[in-house]
Amino acid sequence: MLRVAQLGKRYSSDGPAALTGVSFDVTAGELLAVVGPSGCGKTTLLRLLCGLTPPSEGAVLFNGRPVLRPPHEFALVFQDYSRSLFPWLSVVRNVMFPLRGAGLTRTGRISRAEAVLDEMGLHGAAHKYPWQLSGGMQQRVAIARALVSLPEVLLLDEPFASIDALTRAELQDVLLRVHGVSGGRRVTIVHVTHDIDEAVYLADRVLILSSAPGRVAGSIEVGLARPRAQTATRSSPRFLAVRNEIHLVIAAKELG
Amino acid sequence: MIAALLNRVVPRLLGVLVFAAALGIWEVWARSEESFLVPPMSAVAERAWQVWPTADFLMPVAASLKRLAAGFAIGAGIGVVVGLMMGSSRRTRRTLEPLMEFSRAIPPVAIVPAAIVVLGLGDAMRIAVIAFAVCFPVLVNTIEGVRVVSPEARDTASILHVGSMGRTFRIYLPAALPSIVAGLRIAVSIGLLMVVISEFLGEGDGLGRYILFHQSQFNMPEMYGGILFLGLLGYVLNSLFLFAEHRVLTWHYGAAGVQAP
Amino acid sequence: MWTRQPLLDNGTMVRRVHRLVKRANLAGWLFVVLLSAVLEAVVRLFELQDSLPPPSATLHALADGMVSGTLPGELVTTLESYAVGLALAIVGGVVLGVAIGSSRTLLDASFVVIEFLRPIPAVALIPLAILFFGVGVPMRRLLIAYGALWPILINTLYGVRGTDQVLHDVAATSGVTRVGRLVRVTLPAALPSIATGIRVSASLALLVGVTAEFVIGTEGIGSYMQRQQLAYQLPELYAAIVLVGLLGYVINVGLRVTEQRVVFWVGEKRMTGR
Repeated sequence: MLRVAQLGKRYSSDGPAALTGVSFDVTAGELLAVVGPSGCGKTTLLRLLCGLTPPSEGAVLFNGRPVLRPPHEFALVFQDYSRSLFPWLSVVRNVMFPLRGAGLTRTGRISRAEAVLDEMGLHGAAHKYPWQLSGGMQQRVAIARALVSLPEVLLLDEPFASIDALTRAELQDVLLRVHGVSGGRRVTIVHVTHDIDEAVYLADRVLILSSAPGRVAGSIEVGLARPRAQTATRSSPRFLAVRNEIHLVIAAKELG
Repeated sequence: MIAALLNRVVPRLLGVLVFAAALGIWEVWARSEESFLVPPMSAVAERAWQVWPTADFLMPVAASLKRLAAGFAIGAGIGVVVGLMMGSSRRTRRTLEPLMEFSRAIPPVAIVPAAIVVLGLGDAMRIAVIAFAVCFPVLVNTIEGVRVVSPEARDTASILHVGSMGRTFRIYLPAALPSIVAGLRIAVSIGLLMVVISEFLGEGDGLGRYILFHQSQFNMPEMYGGILFLGLLGYVLNSLFLFAEHRVLTWHYGAAGVQAP
Repeated sequence: MWTRQPLLDNGTMVRRVHRLVKRANLAGWLFVVLLSAVLEAVVRLFELQDSLPPPSATLHALADGMVSGTLPGELVTTLESYAVGLALAIVGGVVLGVAIGSSRTLLDASFVVIEFLRPIPAVALIPLAILFFGVGVPMRRLLIAYGALWPILINTLYGVRGTDQVLHDVAATSGVTRVGRLVRVTLPAALPSIATGIRVSASLALLVGVTAEFVIGTEGIGSYMQRQQLAYQLPELYAAIVLVGLLGYVINVGLRVTEQRVVFWVGEKRMTGR
């Protein structure tokens, strides 16, 4: 459903390539994690995927159509929640923001936003302002905002990087819940992260990028059963095996 | 390579072209209208070329600059000293605050008549008024600069048993320097403003009086030239202080090992 | 700690008044009173009344002037041009600033012209303005508008250009139209800068307006002050100075309070270090 073909990006015509020759497919309903060392172009890849930046080479195809601008069916969660939530809007109005053109009445929009906030466990926070909430809660609001328009594809750019370890575990499970639910139709998720453990814990498949210039170093099927649990899954032999394999691939690329 | 260079030059070029076009329109309109009040740009430029290098013009300019320098030095000096005091002592700040807030809300031009009564119509009045106007931006910025000195710096001062004088001059002043220099930059613009205002009122020479004189004589090219020169002066002064501000900021952040914003 | 004030409810009102009283800074005001008392004594003792009126005389003149309607009348005249000029500058400055700030082409095109016009002080244009527009109300309004335009324009420009790219990305991925983006994202994001610009312009506009009145000398509080100086009516002169200072102070405070309500999120963003 989502195809990336020979994608390349350089930011200036004579500068270095941020990404080159990246090709992979994403099947509907899949949770794909993208890992790689800093500077390997993970964020660039995400921006190219959702059409915020045009590619220098190659193309991103969604259901066969090239992605030239952010499609309605996509939603994006940014890493820095404090900068991506509008500080002049309350939580519920932030979440309502993408619904303007959806043909709902104002009441309809409010109730949809509040429903999503409830799902995210943010019931009491609707009328607060983002800066009054903790980091973890702010990121939940950002995820809620991404989900409110019922996207087919959810893209996340290192969403839990700026969050403390305990809250991060909570949010990982929230994401898994989001992936597993959505009334019979699974949301396709592309999750960029530098945390290999997180990638293996969450994903169906892990795409490994190497750096300078960013290219696909490998793709590994995780093959762990769902639903997953923080302690049980993370201590399973399969988890450790996959994790180690990824580490090895990255190390090999770094040295070789 | 060429593409990159062009990319940088073309935008600037566009600005210059638009500016040149605006000047061109002025020229064409002024010539066709033959309006007395709007001389063609070429006439202004020609007169400026003749007049600006002469002593007749440069003397009033020098006089204005001298007043500005004197008033600026006094005003900035007071601003920094009082600012350091108010910034480092909460009690001092609270006590002087209402007086300061009220005084700085007075448009400096309103001080002119009072200054005339006490100091007459000459330079003393002008320098006093300029100093009054210059003092406040510097004061406010100095206070702010000292207030945001990091707790770590204050703690260092305590641990090293630095006395309050030492603390003020060796820690607070350097730490507040970026903010102070920013205040100085704002103050110099206000100072220039007050030079002009004080020269409009009262007697004497100076660039402001030059502009006023030529207006009363209906010498349009000279008047326009004077105004433009004033703008040029303001631009140069502002750029100088911006440069200083940038240097101080870089040194400041460089010393801390942080990238200057 | 940092919470947005709920709009109106009795408990809050009481709490707010209480906080205001505590914040009223008794020490500071006592200092002012003390200073005035010292000044009063010094002026009378050293017989300086020819240069400096004793504060009591100034207060007296202030009260008289207010009651008789002279001072309010002049003040209203000044305020009228001031308000109109400032309003024009705000509308013009914000509209132009947003337009230029959001288009790279417009920014590049207008850059040189703006940098050229900007350093020319509005007060220096008083003689020019007199020739063009005469000495009446329209001239003062236009001059004030011109002078007040620049801080607002520049600040709006920088506010628009400085908007976090992330916010633009959010708008792009939320399917908002370009115009929608301008109104719903760019404008609110630039509001803190615009507010600062308006505050700077407000005091600049007062300065320009009063100066123009001085130079022309027909109406307004500026010309009133000049007349008092010429007639050597010192208490009246100082009363007017105090009044103008009060005006400036009230405007400043009013703007700051409005700013805190309209741009309520700024303090918090600074707190979180963004």
